[in-house]
Amino acid sequence: MKKFHLNEKRLGYLMILPSIILVVLITLWPVAQSFYNSLFDYRLNDPTRSERMLSANMDLERYVDNYFYIDSQLSNLEGSADGDDIATIQQARETIEGFHSELASDSEINAKMEQIDEMLMNFQPISDSDLKYAKLDNDFAEDYRTALNSISEELQVMAGEADNEDLAQNYEQTSSLIEATSTNILESNFIGFSNYAKYLQDGRMWKSLSNTMIFTIASVAFELVLGLAVALLINRTFSGRGIVRASVLIPWAIPTAVGAMMWGFLLDGQTGVIAHYFNEWNLIPNSSWLLSTSSGGMFSIIFADVWKTTPYMALLLLAGLQTIPNSLYEASDVDGANKFQQFFKITLPLLKSSILVALLFRTLDAFRVFDLIYVLTGGGPANATESISIYAYITLFSQQNFGEGSVLSVIVFLAVALISFIYVRLIGSDLFAGRTK
Amino acid sequence: MPQVKKLLLFGVLFLLVAFMAACGGDGGSGTDDSEAESNGEYESASEDGEQVTIVYATGVDTTGKVEAQIEEFEELNPNIKVDYREMPSDTGQQHDQYVTMFSSQSSEIDVFNGDSIWPAEFAQANYALELDRFIEADGIDLEEHFDGPIQAGNFNGRQWALPLFIDASFLYYRTDVTEEPPTTWDELIEQAGELQGEGDTEFGYLLQASQYEGLVTNFVEIIASYGGEVINEDNEVVVNSPETIKGLEKLAEIVQSDFVPGNILNFQEIETENAWIAGDAVFARNWPYMQSSSNDEERSEVVDNVQIAPLPAGDEGSASALGGWTAMINRYTEHPEESWELVKYLAGEQGQKTGAIVGNHAPTIEALYDDPEVQEAAPLFQNPEFVEGLSAAVPRPVSPIYPEISDIIQIQVSQVLTGDQTAEQAAENMQTQIENAMEE
Repeated sequence: MKKFHLNEKRLGYLMILPSIILVVLITLWPVAQSFYNSLFDYRLNDPTRSERMLSANMDLERYVDNYFYIDSQLSNLEGSADGDDIATIQQARETIEGFHSELASDSEINAKMEQIDEMLMNFQPISDSDLKYAKLDNDFAEDYRTALNSISEELQVMAGEADNEDLAQNYEQTSSLIEATSTNILESNFIGFSNYAKYLQDGRMWKSLSNTMIFTIASVAFELVLGLAVALLINRTFSGRGIVRASVLIPWAIPTAVGAMMWGFLLDGQTGVIAHYFNEWNLIPNSSWLLSTSSGGMFSIIFADVWKTTPYMALLLLAGLQTIPNSLYEASDVDGANKFQQFFKITLPLLKSSILVALLFRTLDAFRVFDLIYVLTGGGPANATESISIYAYITLFSQQNFGEGSVLSVIVFLAVALISFIYVRLIGSDLFAGRTK
Repeated sequence: MPQVKKLLLFGVLFLLVAFMAACGGDGGSGTDDSEAESNGEYESASEDGEQVTIVYATGVDTTGKVEAQIEEFEELNPNIKVDYREMPSDTGQQHDQYVTMFSSQSSEIDVFNGDSIWPAEFAQANYALELDRFIEADGIDLEEHFDGPIQAGNFNGRQWALPLFIDASFLYYRTDVTEEPPTTWDELIEQAGELQGEGDTEFGYLLQASQYEGLVTNFVEIIASYGGEVINEDNEVVVNSPETIKGLEKLAEIVQSDFVPGNILNFQEIETENAWIAGDAVFARNWPYMQSSSNDEERSEVVDNVQIAPLPAGDEGSASALGGWTAMINRYTEHPEESWELVKYLAGEQGQKTGAIVGNHAPTIEALYDDPEVQEAAPLFQNPEFVEGLSAAVPRPVSPIYPEISDIIQIQVSQVLTGDQTAEQAAENMQTQIENAMEE
């Protein structure tokens, strides 16, 4: 009997296993990946930090390319240098060759280097990172790097002492080549939580976080009030209701980027119709206030967002309204309740869970706002409309700083998780309260 | 009523179907075509080396010069077909699209125009193909070019980009309103205020004050005219200086004055050009290309009434920001040799000549300024002051982390222009933030 139970339990788990795997793959994996990225000083546009490395590595593509030149340049120098310098250069060449043959003694690395050499000759990019990078012993890496740096310095000194200008230039060139080669030997760029420490003290991060909060709270509040009003309106029966219901949805159907472009034209200080009339009616100090000042910029993005997502709010609330049975209103009519009493005593309490769900969706959406701001104001003027997602985008994509950008993404994730947690608690307790009564 | 409903339903359905057909048709046929094309050409290229298609990307081109260049190039190289890809006009957005593409090692673009501030970053990140071996093999003489633009394409002793044209900013003025352009910033402020409204104009002066890369050039040149700079020759941050503060205050004074448009904080080059050719302003700061749109009879209201002069001077004389564009090859291209042919043409005498004649872009090859056809196309190029001005232009900070530095400058300067902070605070913030960014 007991055995059978266990099997059934296992079977149950087996049945939900695919969905668990799906959840892990789709939601947890990317988050874990971002978190892992955020622990590195990881910058795509900096070759010394363009991979996540826990130990020393060699960028073989660049190393092979540079080594190709080192040999010829050093032997060139040997030909033109004089006196003691020749000995130093020979010594340098031997040192480098020594390290190089030690590196090549690993048959795997040697094979890789030969393959890369051939590809470089044909101008083929090395896009396979297994081929491009080779793990090194930390001590060997350190020794080789120090050796290269000291040779580079020696050549620099010789360049200063050389009396022939051409020769000095040759020394300089070889010196910077060798210095560049030393940066092909990569150190580990694991830095733990110091990226987080940096951003928690970063004024710009807090500013963008507070911009996001202001935007979220203001836009969601307006959307709730207006959306509820629209929902109540289109819940009534009147002629042409179908057309009104459909047309209310138009702003929601327009792609955000297109809508933002449109508002950009409408709010423009010079040619914008809306800006012109707002100014005419003395709602704003002057027609360029909307997009050219900090508070105007914030107003504009909230305004455009309210225009765009009120219909969505209305739609969600309308669905809630339709679940309220008409008999309740009829009964209260009989009891002599007026419309306000009906709204506050019947509609609102019964709509509560719909409102919470709608708020949850909208708050999360608004908190992650990106496209509207990117197109309408680009985060300006004076960074007054930069949301945390815009800041993450700039760090990740403009500056290609994946480590720090991931920190910002993780912060967005944590904030969003916190918001959903609070809402789910509210909704949960609401449902629970309903059940016990 | 049901009939009306049915009718409506049909109407909506029809619209939907039409819409989807339009979208689907567009997208579908587009990809089909290009796939069929490229497949066919790959095959023929591998079989008998006939035709190869490469993709050339540049920012929005309002002058039509890119098409003229491509046409000429295809005539010269019948076995290479060039597909033109238009990118956003904002250099920052272009940059973001390119780095996103290249960091994922995409080969969808072969050759692209790069702003003169990019090569250091692109070279370091391994996004650009180094050109030294090609240059050596084809015996290209880099000495023919001005030195500045060649240096801009050089990083760690290797050449990653070849210059296409050189840019420096100038002061445009309306000859039907004034004969004497202002020579100092104070004179400009005075004259712009006085002349605003004359000759059907609305504004005295136009510049680029939106929070974007162009703001950095406007900032760099005005502080340079007062003797300030961001990063000095020894790679030290020196932005927090009395000279910078003075220049920045002058910039803020201009931006906050009554003679510029109220929405000057949204102005980029395109807005400046549109307002200028509509005859809205007496003075404007822009790159040389606006001369050709000013004299375009189809679009412009100010044909033959436009002249250029050096930018007004500060305490240390006049300075203009060094701009200009270079051609680079995607490191991950599948057609390096054909791409090089295009770059060689574009940066060479023929390509630059076509660029100068059609697009009024100033060549980087000095000899072209003596070419009668080039001189005829733009009287500007005969002007020795112009050529001199080009060689005196000040570069923007050179650094592989340029995007970060530019971002800091944009934000801090923009906050001064909106009145959110003083010039002193901005200079101090820029100093510490750029120092921190460079130390990392």
